[in-house]
Amino acid sequence: MPDHTHFDAPKPGRAGSPVESSTDAEKRFTLEKQRTDRVIRLATPFVSVAIAVLVGSLLVVASGRDPVAAFAALFQGAFGSQRAIGETLLRSTPLMFTGLALAWGFRAGLFNIGAEGQLFLGGLAAAYVGIQVGSLPWAIAVPVILLAAALSGAAWAFIPALMKARIGANEVITTMMFSYIGRYLVSYLVSGPLSDKSGIPQTAQLPPNSMLPRFNTILPFLHPTRAHLGFVIAIVMAVMVWAALKYTTLGFEARAVGYNPFASEAGGISVGSTIIKSLCISGALAGLAGAVEVMGVYGRLFDSFSNGFGFTGIAVALLAKNNPIGVIAAALLFGALSAGAGTMQLEADVSQQLVAVIQAIIIFLVAAETIVSWAVERTRKRKAVAPVAG
Amino acid sequence: MSDDSAMLAGNRPAPVSNRTPVLSLEHITKRFPGVLADDDVSVDVHAGEVVALLGENGAGKSTLMNVAYGLLEADGGRILIDGRPAGIKGPRQAIALGIGMVHQHFMLVETLTVTENIVLGREPARFGTVDMATARADARALSERYGLTVDPDARVQDLSVGMQQRVEILKALYRKARVLILDEPTSVLTPQEVNELFEIVRQLVDSGLAVVIITHKLDEVMAFSDRIIVMRAGRLVGETRPADTDETGLAKMMVGRDVVLRVDKTPSVPGEIVLSVRDLHVLDDRRLEAVRGISLDVHEGEIVGIAGVDGNGQSQIVEAIVGLRRPASGTVWLRDREITHANPADTIAAGVSHIPADRQRRGLVLEFDLIENIALGDHRKLPYANHGVLDRDAMREVARTRISEFDIRTPSETVRAANLSGGNQQKLVVARELGRDPELLIAAQPTRGLDVGAIEFVHRQILGERERRKGILLVSMELEEVLSLSDRILVLYGGRIVAEFEGGSVTEEQLGYYMTGGGGSELAATPGPTPPDQTRGDHA
Amino acid sequence: MLAEILTPDLFAAAIRLATPIALAAMGASICERSGIVNIAMEGLMLAGAFGGVIAALLTGSIWVGLFAAILASCLLAALHAFASINLRADQVVSGTAINILAVGLTGFLVEMIFGHPGNIGLSDSALAQQVMKHPVPMVPALGPVFDFPTGGSGALGTIWTWIDTIFLSYTPIAYVGIFAAVFLTWAMFRTRWGLRLRALGEHPRAADTVGIDVMRGRWIAVLISGAMAGLAGANLSLEQVGGFSDSMTNGRGFIALAANIFGRWIPGGGYLASLLFGFADALQLKLQIFSNVIRIPPQFFLMLPYVLTVIVLAGVVGKAVAPAALGKPYKAKG
Repeated sequence: MPDHTHFDAPKPGRAGSPVESSTDAEKRFTLEKQRTDRVIRLATPFVSVAIAVLVGSLLVVASGRDPVAAFAALFQGAFGSQRAIGETLLRSTPLMFTGLALAWGFRAGLFNIGAEGQLFLGGLAAAYVGIQVGSLPWAIAVPVILLAAALSGAAWAFIPALMKARIGANEVITTMMFSYIGRYLVSYLVSGPLSDKSGIPQTAQLPPNSMLPRFNTILPFLHPTRAHLGFVIAIVMAVMVWAALKYTTLGFEARAVGYNPFASEAGGISVGSTIIKSLCISGALAGLAGAVEVMGVYGRLFDSFSNGFGFTGIAVALLAKNNPIGVIAAALLFGALSAGAGTMQLEADVSQQLVAVIQAIIIFLVAAETIVSWAVERTRKRKAVAPVAG
Repeated sequence: MSDDSAMLAGNRPAPVSNRTPVLSLEHITKRFPGVLADDDVSVDVHAGEVVALLGENGAGKSTLMNVAYGLLEADGGRILIDGRPAGIKGPRQAIALGIGMVHQHFMLVETLTVTENIVLGREPARFGTVDMATARADARALSERYGLTVDPDARVQDLSVGMQQRVEILKALYRKARVLILDEPTSVLTPQEVNELFEIVRQLVDSGLAVVIITHKLDEVMAFSDRIIVMRAGRLVGETRPADTDETGLAKMMVGRDVVLRVDKTPSVPGEIVLSVRDLHVLDDRRLEAVRGISLDVHEGEIVGIAGVDGNGQSQIVEAIVGLRRPASGTVWLRDREITHANPADTIAAGVSHIPADRQRRGLVLEFDLIENIALGDHRKLPYANHGVLDRDAMREVARTRISEFDIRTPSETVRAANLSGGNQQKLVVARELGRDPELLIAAQPTRGLDVGAIEFVHRQILGERERRKGILLVSMELEEVLSLSDRILVLYGGRIVAEFEGGSVTEEQLGYYMTGGGGSELAATPGPTPPDQTRGDHA
Repeated sequence: MLAEILTPDLFAAAIRLATPIALAAMGASICERSGIVNIAMEGLMLAGAFGGVIAALLTGSIWVGLFAAILASCLLAALHAFASINLRADQVVSGTAINILAVGLTGFLVEMIFGHPGNIGLSDSALAQQVMKHPVPMVPALGPVFDFPTGGSGALGTIWTWIDTIFLSYTPIAYVGIFAAVFLTWAMFRTRWGLRLRALGEHPRAADTVGIDVMRGRWIAVLISGAMAGLAGANLSLEQVGGFSDSMTNGRGFIALAANIFGRWIPGGGYLASLLFGFADALQLKLQIFSNVIRIPPQFFLMLPYVLTVIVLAGVVGKAVAPAALGKPYKAKG
């Protein structure tokens, strides 16, 4: 098979060009390219959000509502009061976990589109184990539950991971299928074996020792808020994931495989086991998202306890350019959108679904990065004429 | 070169210069980001002549011809066909104007048949359905007319490279090409296939076509062209005829300075055996046996070269030794340690370094910076890592050392590998693999696509390893490289070693003979493995 | 009990339930043969289902609805084409964006138009009244094409019932699906368009160098997949359900992708593979009726198509070879 991606001419800086004959010019060119790359990388998320808000406004106008009122209400609902800020933190918490889950996957070249299913399984483990360990002291119970949820999420990702590593089955389809299977499984369990027998399909309430306390419980001077300790755990986790990607061989190998599995293999990295590890890590992070919802918000598991956090995690990771620290910011943004959506609906009569539309546009724009790079290249070209040595 | 070719290059009537050229490129300039690929280049091509476009990698030859074929748009200059300005916006117009091009990487759809490939884009059709009967008949007629025999119903993926090239030429002829551009047409062919190709080219030229051959091979230029145009660094530096020059003169023109075509090296003093391969059988991706019982030894302080036409099992041997492919049977030993079923991590740890044939695919993680690329392969060990935690300061230190040792030209060690030039990327791979201080170096196509300066550098490094008493297995399609570096040369054909020579005791022609299966008939008939002593008896 | 399960109804239901999956699978095969991954089939179907219902309600014409379904899903497909072909975006991510967009946009529009989230039935003419200020006759869902009297007694009657149920009981789009399976397979392997399509997905540069317009060819392929997804959505909303509800496609677009792989990127193959899923779906529906006998919770039946998809992928993926250039953005000029 001839490699058609290989094309003879347009490799910049290729041997024999006049530029190459001068080491300095070559270095300058390399530096220039590196800088352009960085500008594009940094600018894309901001430009994407701006365009998405603009398109969202147009939709609001088209449906005969006032976009300024809509976004003002949205902002009010997200940041207008201590309670509102609490809601934003609350809603960004699971998104940080799913965002990290997707980001780790993307870094390893895997698209864990089925994070939602792993989230359900994580929630399931939290709801089940949470009741079992409720008599233990809080400081022991909570880590045990979180660990169980992470393992459960990882387990749900394991079969797709194995299929990807062994036979190359597309994880986009398999994790998605496992997501549906997982949701039906939870649906069965909460209405059957794990039901609290109330007639409503839900599990029993977790004992207090299994719960993540709310901020106003920890810091009594705060107004009552639903935001809980899970938010802090999420931030800690983001920093840990960042460090793991950068400072461990595990992260090094995941990134290497994500960029170039062939070179990784030649460099002694087992591609298959890296894929399995990475998808399971992704699943574990998604599982934690389910756990914090159960342990921090509802205290129990039921059918519809997730508001599509697994899918929003895709947008979070992409907007953050798969940078774990960026995930914190992106999750806060989407958390704010989600928190403000209710107020927007109430005060400006604009459907909450607008948030999903904005999300989709952001994903779309981040994917079509060329729009931004095109704009950046254009402005750069105007500034400087390409260096052509004599 | 053989007598045939010399005869073919005989006294041909020189093209009449006052005739209108069939293709004129006037003042073509083409820029890529950071590179001026073609700088005000003008070339005329007349019907009935073979023009050789000679130059190093990156001299701008292919770019120029891609402009003529409409694949690239020039930043300046114009193209004339039969003296009339031609607005070539894409291959579609170029084809309509009678320009055909056979690319270095074939533009064939491998899953389609020969006929389908030939007619693609100009299918004879009735109401939208492809008229395969007519297509097949047309293809057959063309191949008979020019002696380009090929099965019209074969799938392209089942054809040899030489056959695929014929399909490419038939494609151009089917489109009634009057100018045929061949981009590095001989790089994948055996010497015999090269002669066949040039016979075909002669026939085409005799029937009135103009042929442009892009190449960097001096001997071929001397043997087969009517006119030679030399390019260097994006500029036209000279035009001559084979009768008016010789290879040394051409080389000087091409590179811009005197070139030493020979590598100086001391006689080999082989020591203990480093690598020992016995009766190795390896399957390829299609589960066919690509390596059929190979045995070889590499000693300390010795360069063993494997010569052969691409696709005769080279990549499978290399992959089997470094652990990228599981051998079907046989054994591989590194000194006193068996590494037959070792994975790449094990072979690296055992002391095998590997310069892969495709640096961008196998050699580098292009998105990684230089630091991470240099650590790759040793990233689990000290000093890079301790119990799974990376020591980035140590990584940076090593990277800095390697960058200066191996003269990698980069503004800093945090630059991504993708942003380096091809030559520097290869230096990066060499720096990592040699920096590991291996027992055995496996160098596959180590100078592919590099300019003369970088080639010399890589050759010096390989010879340096030999001085340091390492064992080196060199796999290359470039006979010149194999001949000038190797202390011992093994010729690979059909997955077997069919001949073995001491370095310096053999010519390109002799190698070419064995590379194409010549003299290997009795060996091929021998069932089972071919031990090295048996091949040794086969000296020419 | 087996006789009660394996009735002609079951097989007819299998074909009926396979239809949306099959139409989408065939659309995916065309799209992917051109080299563009279309993971957005799910969203395209949803947009089609939605567009069909809205247009039918607005105009009172089911046929306008059908046309609108195709149009709506082609519009989103065009977005995918623009991103993947012109902007050379990551095709999987672009497809995901469109899936999320379809859910969000249809939900948004339902709420903005009807003032409430949730289901809209074809018989719900509130929209028509609101927009047109006068009542519009109820829009019936598309019914079966043929309507023969069934039954009769004796062996002949039984045979006729089987034939009538299995071959003559379907709605128009179901027949379109069967026809498309034959026609598209023929077109892919016998026509000029098909030959060029296959070349595009295997080696776009080769196609480009012989003067085939890669961009145009891929655009057409993506739009065809949009049209097929539109038909699939219309089949769901206008024929099977008779209305629209949030996320009503319920993963069928993803199952279609698996069916396409199982069918080895051949439209006819995709259709046959979809029958497997249709049969599984029909079987689980049938078995639910017997749930008091079998005593298996309904959730496990509902899982069946998804479990089957995973099993099918595990079995065939290693052997099925995707078009060589699938998912790789193509850049025409340097």
